[in-house]
Amino acid sequence: MSPHLAQTRVAITGIGILSPLGRGEEATLDAIRHARSGIRAIESIDASELTCRIGGEVPREAHQGLQRGQDRFSRFALIAAEDAAAGARFGTIGIEGERVGVLIGTGLGGCETLDAGYKRIYRDGATRVGPLTIPMSMYNAASSAVSNRFGAKGVAYSVVSACSSGAHAIGLAAQAIRSGQADAMFAGGADAPLTFGIIRAWESMRVLAVDNDHPDLACRPFSVDRKGIVLAEGAAVFVLESFENARRRGQPILGEIIGFGATSDAGHVTDPSADGASRAMRMALRDAGIAEGEVGYINAHGTATHANDSTETRAIKEVFGPDAHRIPVSSTKSMHGHAMGASGAIEIALSLLSLNAGLIPPTINLVTPDPECDLDYVPNAARSGSAKVFLSNSFGFGGMNAVVAVRTRAGGE
Amino acid sequence: MERTELEKKLIEIVRKEKDIPDEKLTPETLLADAGIDSLDALTILFAIEEDLNIHIPDDRARAMKTFGDMADAVADQLK
Repeated sequence: MSPHLAQTRVAITGIGILSPLGRGEEATLDAIRHARSGIRAIESIDASELTCRIGGEVPREAHQGLQRGQDRFSRFALIAAEDAAAGARFGTIGIEGERVGVLIGTGLGGCETLDAGYKRIYRDGATRVGPLTIPMSMYNAASSAVSNRFGAKGVAYSVVSACSSGAHAIGLAAQAIRSGQADAMFAGGADAPLTFGIIRAWESMRVLAVDNDHPDLACRPFSVDRKGIVLAEGAAVFVLESFENARRRGQPILGEIIGFGATSDAGHVTDPSADGASRAMRMALRDAGIAEGEVGYINAHGTATHANDSTETRAIKEVFGPDAHRIPVSSTKSMHGHAMGASGAIEIALSLLSLNAGLIPPTINLVTPDPECDLDYVPNAARSGSAKVFLSNSFGFGGMNAVVAVRTRAGGE
Repeated sequence: MERTELEKKLIEIVRKEKDIPDEKLTPETLLADAGIDSLDALTILFAIEEDLNIHIPDDRARAMKTFGDMADAVADQLK
């Protein structure tokens, strides 16, 4: 890829975010400002038989009054899309439906629906499952729900790349606008994997932080006493449109998607490689047409596993050299957990909202840094400051990496 | 079950899934005219089957056009 200086620029004009930290900008920034964890005892299912009974659950009051006939992950996507559309004043966007697309990534799709169906068949001995099991559980259900809700008749599909799904979706959506395939896109990620069966499966991988007595302390990225991943759920959706269109209608531009890098480790299915990660970061920088020195913040994938944290640190140093120590790098998963295919979207949204508000988000629970992890992880408290450009890293199981480069409001137009 | 009793029961189940005004709840009303699309029909039939512990064959379900057809199919399974 080469710098695309003359092509259509992609403006972010609406942000919807629904995470364990709450719904919307105010709730999210309040949690960032106070370095507050959203990890709690799981309440949405009966978790009593599980070994791991904590997670990053979206607070119940943040998703009340949801429509029926949709899986939990699609309902989350609809809420986030609704908020993004309101912020972007989508009703005044002035783009015909055929030129509006939808791209919602998900790692695991309709887990709630499948779990309920399997429970009926295998545990309860039922001979039939709910008639909407297929349309509710399919991976493109969230994209379909958003498309139907907003009359988006253009390019629409879903992207699946485990924990990178949301970042891939946003990168691809930006490319759809750059290439002229669409003039506006709803883009983001959604996942709701806190079901009995999925948590059991993660328990078997032995990578979960099982700290049922202290959920808020469970997720400790880059810390030598880290305990592993905390599963989470949520969604974030952006309204993206061409700069030209946003300017024409006088809509405030919240940020710009300037670059997208995507690579595969082509190595091990679950052990990440620094090479795959660093190539993705370099590709995003090249695509954005910017130099390493212009990056002012990195939102790390930062899962709080040894494999990720040390490899990601190494990859950042490979790309930025000695300059790596200058750049604040944080894992906000320490606060909201790992929302799988939603995480990339949630983290881009959270980073942009924070930086636009003059806050650099922290990595909480970082008491004793791992000696292999020696960057500035913004430990334990948000910092005043901003960045003109930031990177958001997402590295999925399967070795699939996506990095999105974003220009903030401070980066100017 | 008496036919009137059955129809009352069906109305109750249908209403749980979809808010339909009285004047549309006649045996002659086309499901489509009552705002019931194919997925709504599946959901309603599923609720009926669960409630009455019956199984309506696929061909009867697919051929259903009106509330009357629905009641007939259910009545046949209750015979």
